[in-house]
Amino acid sequence: MAKLWHIFRLMMRGEAKSLWRGLLLSALVLMMGAALLGLSGWFIVAASAAGLLGTGAVFDVFRPSAMVRFLAIGRTATRYGERILTHDATLRALTRLRVTLLSGLAKRSHERLIRLRGAQALNRIIADVDALDGVPLRLFLPLIAGGATQLLALLFLSWLVDWRVALPIFLIFTFGALAVLLWGIRRARVPSRRAEAAAQAFRTRFIDLLTSREDLALYGQLPDQSEACLSAEARRQAAATATDFVERQAGAALMVISALAAAVALWIGGDLAQAGVITPAQAAIGFFAALALMETVAPLRRAVAEMGRMIGAARRVIALTEGALQEGQGADPELSRATPVQLRFDQVGFARNGAQPVIEGFDLSLGASEWVALKGPSGVGKSTVLLMAAGALAPTQGQVTLNGQPVTELAPGTVTLVGQRAALIQGSIAENLRLAAPEADDAALHAALRAVALDEVIAAKGGLETGLGPRGAGLSGGETRRLVLARALLKQPSVLLLDEPTEGLDHPTAERVLAGIRAALPQAVILMAAHRAEEQGAADKIVTLG
Amino acid sequence: MLSALLAREKSAIGLASWLSALSGFLWLPQAALVAATFSHLLLGEGGVRVGTGVLSFLGFAALRLILNYLAEGLLFRAGQAIVTQMRQEILAREGQNLGTSALGGPGALAALAGEKLDALLPYITRYTPAQKRVMTVPFAILALAFWQSWAVGLVFVIAGPLIPVFMALVGYAAKEASERQMQEIGSLGDLLVDRLAALADIRLLGAAPRLIERFDRSADDLRSRTMAVLRIAFLSSTVLELFAALGVAMVAVWVGFSLLGELSWGAWGGGITPWAGIFLLLLAPDYFQPLRDLSAAWHDKAAALAVAGELAKWQDHEAETLLGTGAKRAPLSGPATVRLSGVAVRRGGRKIIYPDAEIAPGQRVALSGPSGAGKTTLLRLIAGLDRPAAGTIMVAGQPLSDETADGWRARLGWMPQAPMFLARSLRHNIAFGAPLSPDLLSETALEGVLKSLPKGDLTILGETGGGLSGGEARRVMLARALAARPDVVLADEPTADLDHETAERVTEALLALAERGATLIVATHDPKLIAKMDRVIDVAPAGRDAQEATHG
Repeated sequence: MAKLWHIFRLMMRGEAKSLWRGLLLSALVLMMGAALLGLSGWFIVAASAAGLLGTGAVFDVFRPSAMVRFLAIGRTATRYGERILTHDATLRALTRLRVTLLSGLAKRSHERLIRLRGAQALNRIIADVDALDGVPLRLFLPLIAGGATQLLALLFLSWLVDWRVALPIFLIFTFGALAVLLWGIRRARVPSRRAEAAAQAFRTRFIDLLTSREDLALYGQLPDQSEACLSAEARRQAAATATDFVERQAGAALMVISALAAAVALWIGGDLAQAGVITPAQAAIGFFAALALMETVAPLRRAVAEMGRMIGAARRVIALTEGALQEGQGADPELSRATPVQLRFDQVGFARNGAQPVIEGFDLSLGASEWVALKGPSGVGKSTVLLMAAGALAPTQGQVTLNGQPVTELAPGTVTLVGQRAALIQGSIAENLRLAAPEADDAALHAALRAVALDEVIAAKGGLETGLGPRGAGLSGGETRRLVLARALLKQPSVLLLDEPTEGLDHPTAERVLAGIRAALPQAVILMAAHRAEEQGAADKIVTLG
Repeated sequence: MLSALLAREKSAIGLASWLSALSGFLWLPQAALVAATFSHLLLGEGGVRVGTGVLSFLGFAALRLILNYLAEGLLFRAGQAIVTQMRQEILAREGQNLGTSALGGPGALAALAGEKLDALLPYITRYTPAQKRVMTVPFAILALAFWQSWAVGLVFVIAGPLIPVFMALVGYAAKEASERQMQEIGSLGDLLVDRLAALADIRLLGAAPRLIERFDRSADDLRSRTMAVLRIAFLSSTVLELFAALGVAMVAVWVGFSLLGELSWGAWGGGITPWAGIFLLLLAPDYFQPLRDLSAAWHDKAAALAVAGELAKWQDHEAETLLGTGAKRAPLSGPATVRLSGVAVRRGGRKIIYPDAEIAPGQRVALSGPSGAGKTTLLRLIAGLDRPAAGTIMVAGQPLSDETADGWRARLGWMPQAPMFLARSLRHNIAFGAPLSPDLLSETALEGVLKSLPKGDLTILGETGGGLSGGEARRVMLARALAARPDVVLADEPTADLDHETAERVTEALLALAERGATLIVATHDPKLIAKMDRVIDVAPAGRDAQEATHG
């Protein structure tokens, strides 16, 4: 519950005004509903009493009937306003939450980021946030508005009818509803959480099935993966059925409470009327108001069913947003393009939590126009050196500096790294290229493609607007590699870091690409992990690691 | 489409709708008893005594509650059954399809199979019973109203039919808005699945703020589309409530004036009794209630229609399917020969014609050719992942077909160029549940890699092997290919991304397998690897004649 309150306050931030107004209107709707029914009941019974006594001529029909019309129309309009306000505010808050979560993910350490899976992120940013819309709409707003209405009803009914009618109505509704809420939450919490967990597992497994179905088919695993999806679906269905069972029971219990309140109002009111303490018309106010007050507890049914799902989602979302705030840094200094650069490694070392150091005591200094190749066997730390130079990995010893400034403090992208498995995105070739340089015109894109010997290939495929599938599907391995390089060139970096840039390219293409890179960035510092002869040949200097 | 979806659970839904309507009907005697109790209070005689009134009120309430409870349970189960069945159907078909669907990528499909299918539930549990109530309960109330007062009956007759007319108009707009909302949900899912897998690279490019900005726009777009749907829904129910409120108010005013004796028209035979007045007033809201329920569920119908439309679009899309089912089958018997004759495929606008070739068991073959010449496609053809446009592929003496593909694949090891990892342990990604043999790990030099991972072979990696270096990911793919000791290994650029020493080891591991009699078919540019093969098949581009060279 504390988590949900935290989330509610997080959502209120920025939407506070709308949500307050929405809350006010929600309470107003409930109050007008109770007033409308109570007044109508009174009006009819009082009118028939007056008719029976023959005092109909002096009975004021106009004010009450005007009041009935005002309440009926006013309540309808208020409800419309309330719904629009609260839903709009909630959806806005959810959208903001999604963006915050994405920013939180984007600020994760490189190590965690590369292990991030699309489906997992989808579960956080879409499913979990979707689950939270009930926090204001079906939990806190109805609870607060309902409680306020009940209190007001207690006061008004005590005044207009009799405290002996008002108090039982109040007690039955508030204690009954609270009991149902607590009982329901206790019982539905686990299945509701399980249902959401199973739905997320289904999503993860189904996306796995779609993205890896060829590999799965090859190893005869396709039915097994389908089976895994189906078992998640079966678990979801079982948990959802259990949740629904509790939800229906809670719904039934709330109906019992409402019926009980109305019956008690009728009974006590009727007795008091027979005893002559109050008029039958006053007894009617109590009964009809009790009928209307049912609306104050009805929304709790959904809250019971969704509680487990909401709490689970709230916990995960809070963890991620707090991460976002912790890791968040202020604006980073951007490196001026004009100054010549100097990239220095000073006694740099890196070790993963106490494990054997991947690399230690590494020294290197590179100046403008210099191209250095790192060679050495797999696992010797070439990629680690590049990641540290890009500021994606903080060294555990020493420092990497660019013009005297630690690279970890530079804005991401100041130093451009092309990793071994740099990824493309779904969209056109141009979209992929413009990830690096959103302002670049088509001529610049063509020039970058020409530099990596890809212009003819792309032209043959249909030009810059050719669409690529998910993760850039539609290009061969070598073409992907070159497109990623072209993308890096478009950034016109003063420091370019390349991790085995010509892998998967045939000899002549590799030569052309390396020459193209040099020509495109004559001033840049280039540091490259290389094991191919062509790559080592292109460098001015070779540094052997290990 | 929507009615076809519901047909499977028609009887349960029908029964539940009737139960829910019956519960609505029971309000009539319940209201009559309440009215009689007040009448007793007013007149001091006749009607129903307070105690009896209270008890019978509770009795009817209990009965209605039970009926509702049963109806809701039936509807929920029916809805769940329909949704689950549809999920299974999507799963069964998408498991066989290749490439992207009519709706988009994995994110969009996951949205369809997930939250969008769930949008059918409110339609089933809320709309269908409301529809039944609308067709029954108001007519009974109308009859009772006319029995007591033609004026009240007239109010109902005039106010009632306006509602469906108005709703039909609203429904049209709601459907369109719902369709747009559903599309947006799908494309947002696709955007996330695709971009987030590349988030590490996007940040290295310094493009993360732009991605967030773009996502912000898309998410806001989804919000405004959802809000558009809700606005229509809220507006329609507001208008309905207004009609209902006016109807009830008119009845109340008429009843009030009649009871006061100010009006002498509208009822049969002059005036009405207090009982009739209170009874009519209690019935009036319930005359409109089913219509209000229906309008509240109207956007559920619009959403369900939009989902059904997407399902129909998905079903109509004829995707290319892989050969066979992708299941584990007994290996195809006979020597593992591969023979290509007249094989050609279409890729994009161009046609690739492959040279005829026969690969004997145990042969080591390199497929060479410039980038994009169709080497990978040929490997996919031999694995039964693609269907040739012409020609036949004979494997183990039989044509490669839907019948033989699974048995053939049981004999294959596969090393793709782009490693993909399931969201399961590394161990599962290598051997699919079988234990990892120490031999396999040393052959592929993975022991050190497993030790350096946070959770060893239980680590879950990123989709493309994030957490490992390129060479390590490739070695995992190699281990996977070798794990089942296959008769034929198909490897796409197996030594790319590897330093000299590791490339050597991979080559040795592959050759060691060939030593034991396995066939090796490798698409590669690596001259050192090519030199170690028995023969080279040159896969020529754009239908040019292919050449074959034989070493020694």
